[in-house]
Amino acid sequence: MKNFKQLFISLIFFGILFSNLFANDNLQNKIYKNLRCIVCQGQSIADSNSDFANTIKSVVNDKVNEGMNEKQIYNFLSQKYGDWILYNPPLKGNSYLLWILPYVFFIIGAIVLFFLLKKTLKHKRY
Amino acid sequence: MLSELGNLSVLISIILSFFLIFFSLRELKLNLIKPTSKIINLSRLQLSFTIMSFIILLLGYLFSDFSIINVYENSHSTKPLLYKVSGVWGNHEGSLLLWINVLVIFSYLFFKKNIGVNKKFQLLTLIFQNILILGFFIFLVTTSNPFSKIFPVPQEGLGLNPILQDPALAIHPPLLYLGFVGSSIYFSAALASLISKFDGKNFATVSKPWVLISWLFQTLGILVGSIWAYYELGWGGYWFWDPVENSSLIPWFLMTALFHSILVLEKRDGIYLWVIILSILTFTMSVTGTFLVRSGILNSVHTFANDPSRGMFILTFLSIMIFSSVYIFYKFSPTEERSFKFFSKEFFILTNNWFMIFFLITVLIGTIYPIFLEVLTSQKISIGPPYYNTVLAPFLIPLLFIMAYGPKTSWIISKPFKIKKILFTLLISSLITFFIIFLIDQKNYLINILLISSLYLILQSLFDLFKNLDNKKQKKTFVNKSSLVSHLGFGLFIFFISLNSIMSIEYDLNIKVGEKKQLNEFEISLDDLKVYDDKNFKKFVGDVTILDNKNNIIEKLKPEIRIYNSPETITYEASIKSNIFSDTYVTMSNISRSEFYNIKFHKKPFMNLIWLSTILIVFGGFLRAIGRKF
Repeated sequence: MKNFKQLFISLIFFGILFSNLFANDNLQNKIYKNLRCIVCQGQSIADSNSDFANTIKSVVNDKVNEGMNEKQIYNFLSQKYGDWILYNPPLKGNSYLLWILPYVFFIIGAIVLFFLLKKTLKHKRY
Repeated sequence: MLSELGNLSVLISIILSFFLIFFSLRELKLNLIKPTSKIINLSRLQLSFTIMSFIILLLGYLFSDFSIINVYENSHSTKPLLYKVSGVWGNHEGSLLLWINVLVIFSYLFFKKNIGVNKKFQLLTLIFQNILILGFFIFLVTTSNPFSKIFPVPQEGLGLNPILQDPALAIHPPLLYLGFVGSSIYFSAALASLISKFDGKNFATVSKPWVLISWLFQTLGILVGSIWAYYELGWGGYWFWDPVENSSLIPWFLMTALFHSILVLEKRDGIYLWVIILSILTFTMSVTGTFLVRSGILNSVHTFANDPSRGMFILTFLSIMIFSSVYIFYKFSPTEERSFKFFSKEFFILTNNWFMIFFLITVLIGTIYPIFLEVLTSQKISIGPPYYNTVLAPFLIPLLFIMAYGPKTSWIISKPFKIKKILFTLLISSLITFFIIFLIDQKNYLINILLISSLYLILQSLFDLFKNLDNKKQKKTFVNKSSLVSHLGFGLFIFFISLNSIMSIEYDLNIKVGEKKQLNEFEISLDDLKVYDDKNFKKFVGDVTILDNKNNIIEKLKPEIRIYNSPETITYEASIKSNIFSDTYVTMSNISRSEFYNIKFHKKPFMNLIWLSTILIVFGGFLRAIGRKF
């Protein structure tokens, strides 16, 4: 029994360790996907064939070649086009609620379930 | 001619709705055991006239009757037959007529099926359903009449958006409508059940099949929609977390929650009010989604030609729906007493509901947050795939483990876990994951754990499935096979999606005709470009060859750029070579003012297996729908 657990835990541990050795995702493609094509209807830069998308693609390529990292590129583009262009809204004043609310509801759900379990609930409505 | 007939049958259907409401209200007061045959006949008449109005519009399309504006705007005489038919619901007005047809069909079937169950409940359901029908008919007639005429009669129609001329998209709207408009019937039934003080257990028995049916269609509708997006949009993806996709997913979460929790109500007579809330919410959310889509508030690929007055109408109707449901709920909801043990089927089902509601809320917040932010602060932000993946994906892990155990638990109190077996299954799934990590370069922790947990669900479901197929004698440990099948499908679905997300390879390159480009492990060349004339479009077909390192040809593909003439539109047709393990996917587009072509090359593993596992999920539901044995 104990052996099982130990084996398992070490497996997971090694899995995670091992897996971190590799990293070869294509940076440009990743960035394209996280940008909205702002002249299209709900398309990302990666998906779109528009002139705007092609321009942004070459801008991103240039910036990557200049040695900017992902975050710097997002900052650069959002300064120019606003947050509207970013598909992954950065955590700041106007998006705190967006990132926090789902977890709040998850916890509320847990509390409701807990009380349902804990005792026979007498309730009119919930 | 057709236009007048159409208007006439719509008018008759409206009058019949009034009659149905009026006579049902009268029969409520009479001392009867069940509704009289007059109501059934009226309902049948209503069904006939509503279907007739749809058929008339269909005929308008088939015979290209351009005196009807709707046909003129969305059809063309040279269009293939299939797309003449699907053109009927490929636009706002026609799809609204389809919507009403589904409302009426479900109304009639539900009424017919449940004669003799409980007079008050039945009549009230019919009344509520007819209020909905009436509301949407008024919407149709006042803002979006599909039978409006145009004069002088044009010679030729404007044609259907070419991107919609596709077999998958021809059946996508009807499937989805059967799903989320179908949910109207348990919306009405829930309100009726509250007012008529209908027994909770009976309510569950009566509405369970409808929940299941709508869920089946909703799932299929979403599946067909994403298959279409995959090969027709040419973006290389199958789910974009587009606001409109989200509005089909939100009712899906609710239906999934509902057909699990309705079992608790049926078998254990508990959580009646919760089931009622879910029933009401499903249709409410469907209408909310429709409002968001049709009013043009959302920025999405799906946006129809929109019009503020339509938005106002749906919003008003929606508010009335919500306020009256809330009122009825508070006024009539009974007292309920129930408790659950931790280790019981009830608890597992409630946990399912907990997760479904969490998913629903996240998707809902992600969809409407930008709208509120813009209204309140005039700041525009976008919420896309990264948000949903970050928030939702980690919660799939516990869900997968819970799903592995749910179907095996018994009502009231279940036997404790067998730790040894759990660890054994975990061990095997970790080993397999380990092997996969070893085979492919893999760096994402979350995906690793997702692989382990989905494999766990797959193995567990398979074990249980085989065990239950074996010993038929042991009726004591009856485990629902249909749910095992669906859960197995879900496990496979997450497993393949995870693998697909880490193993997909994609390149985006600009290339001239005759040129070759060397990529990491491939070489791509655009050998030639040919121009063809087709019936209603002109197409540029590229000859793209994919070679591997050793210059062996892996695949020859022919992506197309199509220029349609009615209406003039450019579409990009992906060329896909697909086998069970992997898809090779190429799209081509021209870059304006240059001789370069933009080529997107994707290697996408397990696409077919993702579709197949979704079909397996549906198949489980189907097994449940056709027989109790499963």
